[in-house]
Amino acid sequence: MNEFYGYTGKILTVNLTAGYCVTENLPTELALDFLGGKGFGAKILYDRLKRGIDPLSPDNIMVFANAPLTGTLAPSSSRVVMSTKSPLTGLWLDSNCGGFFGPQLKQAGYDILIIEGRAQEPVYILIENDRVEIVPAADLWGKDTFETTEKLKEKHSSRFMTACIGPAGEKLAPIAGIISEYRAFGRGGGGAVMGSKNLKAIAVKGSRDIKLYDPDKFLKILNEAYDELRISPDTGGGRTKYGTNVILSFMNEAGVHPVRNFRNAVFEGIDRINEKELAEKYYVKNRACFSCPISCSKASRVKEGKYEGRFTEGPEYENTWAFGAQCGNSEMGAVIHAEYLCDKYGIDAISAGNITGFAMECFEKGLITETEIGFPLNFGDDEAMLKFLELIGQRQGIGNLFSSGVARAAREIGGDSGHFAMHVKGMELPAYDPRGAKGIGLAYATSDRGGCHLRAWPVAAEILSPGGDMDPLGTDKKPEYVKTEQDLFAVVDSSGLCLFAATGISLKYLVRLLEAATGIKDFGSMIRVMKIGERIYNQTRLFNVREGADRGLDTLPGRLLSEALPDGPARGHVVQLETMLNEYYDIRGWDQKGIPAADTIARLKLK
Amino acid sequence: MIKINSKDCTGCRICEIVCSMHHYRVVNSERARVRVTTNWPWEDEPVLCRQCRKPKCVESCPRGALAFANNHPVLDAEKCNSCQACVAACPFKAMFVDPENGMPIPCDTCDGKYMCSQWCPNKVIEVVGE
Repeated sequence: MNEFYGYTGKILTVNLTAGYCVTENLPTELALDFLGGKGFGAKILYDRLKRGIDPLSPDNIMVFANAPLTGTLAPSSSRVVMSTKSPLTGLWLDSNCGGFFGPQLKQAGYDILIIEGRAQEPVYILIENDRVEIVPAADLWGKDTFETTEKLKEKHSSRFMTACIGPAGEKLAPIAGIISEYRAFGRGGGGAVMGSKNLKAIAVKGSRDIKLYDPDKFLKILNEAYDELRISPDTGGGRTKYGTNVILSFMNEAGVHPVRNFRNAVFEGIDRINEKELAEKYYVKNRACFSCPISCSKASRVKEGKYEGRFTEGPEYENTWAFGAQCGNSEMGAVIHAEYLCDKYGIDAISAGNITGFAMECFEKGLITETEIGFPLNFGDDEAMLKFLELIGQRQGIGNLFSSGVARAAREIGGDSGHFAMHVKGMELPAYDPRGAKGIGLAYATSDRGGCHLRAWPVAAEILSPGGDMDPLGTDKKPEYVKTEQDLFAVVDSSGLCLFAATGISLKYLVRLLEAATGIKDFGSMIRVMKIGERIYNQTRLFNVREGADRGLDTLPGRLLSEALPDGPARGHVVQLETMLNEYYDIRGWDQKGIPAADTIARLKLK
Repeated sequence: MIKINSKDCTGCRICEIVCSMHHYRVVNSERARVRVTTNWPWEDEPVLCRQCRKPKCVESCPRGALAFANNHPVLDAEKCNSCQACVAACPFKAMFVDPENGMPIPCDTCDGKYMCSQWCPNKVIEVVGE
């Protein structure tokens, strides 16, 4: 291709071991076959990493990849995807972030930033167009993410956008995230990979033009797509008013909002922990990522009581659950402060809350003691929850073990703790109990990065579509749904848009925007773009298979498979995973061990 | 006249993007005539030309390169030597420069169309009294 549109056409590689930077052209085939974002990460990691490398060694690489729509006027075109080998799961990881970092990286001229090796001393990377510097960061090391962000902006101007780690990443906690402009590449331990490279932060600012193939057509399609967002009861109403918590009451009523480490499905604190309570008493202001008209983010402040003055940007639905129902806590002030602490120390809030609930159950069962923890850790004790979170964030005392995730902690603690360690492939589960919505069980089990709700989200059809034909408690149609949505979400995560905006405008508009932005005809076809999504999902599967993953790892915690829910609408239910899994593999063109078949690999042009 | 309802600003920067799209048909927030400032998490605010009746930017220019016409400052690029006295003089800190040549890029109201105002999803930038 002579000239790229939608893409900058450049890859920047920074090698921290040797201290050099190099810029290369974006291969045309990479764009055509893998679209961008997650797709770029999938191909590059598969080609570059050798089987079995230690995720925290200099052999691991980090790929920050933009996509054709990142940094444009398309709704919520804020997304940049970080791919690496996860220290939490030892498998594939992609984690994407909104905010402003991706668009600035693109404006600086780069589709992809690859980080290799390990610096001898703490450093940060400063990027301003052609100027790329590796700068000593001794004065930033040890600082939390808020201080780090502030210092970098003071030094280089507030127009620089940053991504940094806090103490948890420096101390290589496998649940450490990367915090970028108060948002996060949260899941899977990207913060620890950065810490292992002695890389405290990246600061970027650019002043180059982002060019589109047909700007007039792009604007015309955009006007239509914007109307879709405005009339949607979700993106044009509930999500703006309540943020991501918009679904909380629905999930609770459906018996899908897990309580006390997935032991129950009826939360006695729901009157105090719900979206209406948040909107009325805590939300102060709407905030938005780059180019987003939805503004699902909220600045919240506690106005009275023992947490008066505490604040955060959030809390998000998953975190309201993680530090609410999951810990049996009904003190909203503590939920808000917990999310603040996760951002401050740079840890993944979903994992941190899941882990805290797990530790509370371990304490209740006598598997860990007050002496080991330093204080009693009972379900529902908001102060103990926050103290425990401090230990995790700083990797102090017993927090050191628990910041490694529930899978490792369970191996250490023993007893029957493995049965209620709520993870898949080592990644802690988020805020949906699959015994009340079976599809999400299959989605968790087959997610390429482990226990995650963002690879497919069948609860939309199972719970949130009244009059729909998907019985939440049945298994019919679930494998087809999960497979298709995994491919679709792989497309979205490779397009530059956020999932909320992309599903709000639908694939129909997404492909038209991709074509107008890039001038690439294939991107205008829903069928061809979905094939790219399928290719990406198989590429990440091949990465995991190379690391030894197969059907054995596509499973759920014992509690979900054998312990019937004691209450709520799904009382008496477990997840019938194996039936769904057999059918899912068939639809995918994988054998019954979960390995992509040769003809599937050939059909998708994968090697 | 422009009225800014900054309490409703979410910091999305759609105004910056639209401004550069309208003027150059590309996205480049560093070439926009409007910039969002953020004081996390409580304050976001678009900064843009307020069309002063006695414009300090025009007064401050030592070479007479800036005039005020059609309700906005107008630059005569031939006379400008990128000294940026106008940038320092603007009481709203709303005069920005082109990153390529350091010359001011005064807001031209998009010929009265105010694209930033049209696209702002939260009605933060309001055109009043025209």
